[in-house]
Amino acid sequence: MDARVLIVKRAAQELKDGQLVNLGFGMPTQASNYLAPGVRVMFHGENGVIGIGPKPTASKAQADVTNAGSEPVTLVPGAAIMDLATSQGIMRKGYLDITILGALEVDQMGNIANWAVKRNGKWWPGIGGAMDLCYGTKIVIACLMHTDKAGNSKVMKKCTLPLTGKGCLKTIITEKAVFDVGNNVLILKEHAPGVTLEEIKACTDADFIVADTFHEMQFEAGQTVGVGK
Amino acid sequence: MSKFSNKVKSLDEALSIIPKSGARIMMGGFVGASEPTCCIEWLIKNNIHDITLITNEPGLDGFGRAMLYKNGLVREIISSHVGTTSESTEQYLKDALKVEQYYPMGTLAEKIRAGAMGLGGILVPVGVGILDEPGLFDLPEPKQVIEINGVKCFVEPALTAPFGLVKAWRADESGNLEYRYTGLNCNAAMAMACDYTIAEVEEIVPVGTIQPERVGTPAPIISAVVKGLSLKEHDELYRQHWLKIGKLTPETATA
Repeated sequence: MDARVLIVKRAAQELKDGQLVNLGFGMPTQASNYLAPGVRVMFHGENGVIGIGPKPTASKAQADVTNAGSEPVTLVPGAAIMDLATSQGIMRKGYLDITILGALEVDQMGNIANWAVKRNGKWWPGIGGAMDLCYGTKIVIACLMHTDKAGNSKVMKKCTLPLTGKGCLKTIITEKAVFDVGNNVLILKEHAPGVTLEEIKACTDADFIVADTFHEMQFEAGQTVGVGK
Repeated sequence: MSKFSNKVKSLDEALSIIPKSGARIMMGGFVGASEPTCCIEWLIKNNIHDITLITNEPGLDGFGRAMLYKNGLVREIISSHVGTTSESTEQYLKDALKVEQYYPMGTLAEKIRAGAMGLGGILVPVGVGILDEPGLFDLPEPKQVIEINGVKCFVEPALTAPFGLVKAWRADESGNLEYRYTGLNCNAAMAMACDYTIAEVEEIVPVGTIQPERVGTPAPIISAVVKGLSLKEHDELYRQHWLKIGKLTPETATA
């Protein structure tokens, strides 16, 4: 299985029936394609919508029915439109049950950095709605590759990039492992198929303890294609 | 002129009030969706330059307002993002687009709403201890933090602008606006936060046509109504763009 597909499929298992969900850009958006059997959730879009459905056919696409990435979508029965301030309030006030976000770095204090890198000596590109999501959402899940291209751990003792959220992460999912965030230490819960504890130790900068229940990630055959963000 | 008189104008009549250089403009839309397409084209055609643009984010790559950056017409952007278009990124990285600070999207939305509602500012807990970290932004003055009800909050001043450009589905001749689906986004708040707001709409209908409870922006808030693309033309414009960038799959033609 491709590393990113593995992360996405594992992240999708965090979505439970009946939840109000916001999926971040990139990998997290794909989680909507792998909902577990029987799981029906409602997707929120920062631009002001609850109840995002699948992509329409080209002839049915409408300029005024879009998601936060300005992609054409449909609306499911029970959908609601709201203005941008209300949509952001939904995020800040804690009405979302869960959000899955991509990350540049995460650390053992549950911090996440995902909005800025330095280019030409300037912070780029921007915060968007990510900081509001981290501030208010009950369950924040981070998805990322375990290491950068040079092999440096992105699961760190302390993030080096500007933070998006402080101490907000509940779970970290990489192509090698699943960690829960404990008290200034990560708890290693699962390993990817074929990945050993030694390998995880070797590529993880953060301090972690191994859970008693430590086991291999489980993937059900029935994780189905659901609706898209 | 009454706040309820006929406000329908041509693009030239409505927009020529904007100074050639240095205008502060608030513009509705969300990542290129539901933006005032024809007003943007007018700004480019008339070389309205050194604009300070207040916008949720820069827009959509290769589309609509992105052409403002491409043509070097925007001096400063006040936004939640820099990089939703490659055009804005390019200008920013070569120091041709000033970005003094970005706000979290919810903070920006509330600063605009505060401006719309006639408030001085708002108290925002999001980003305290992060966005005021030394060295992160080169701010003209440090962000003020106060503690209220045990929560540390930034004091964020309201945002307003002399000129607003928004997009709605339809307007009546007096300027009552009706929005359509996610086209609402920040358009209604921005319309109200500006002194002179021009609404670009797909359809202009007689007064009395829009159900009162469907009015998203009441007429007194709007200074001018201009007819833009029709709903059908707008759908087609976006459809073609989405097909081009692979967000829609071409349908096989049936005989």
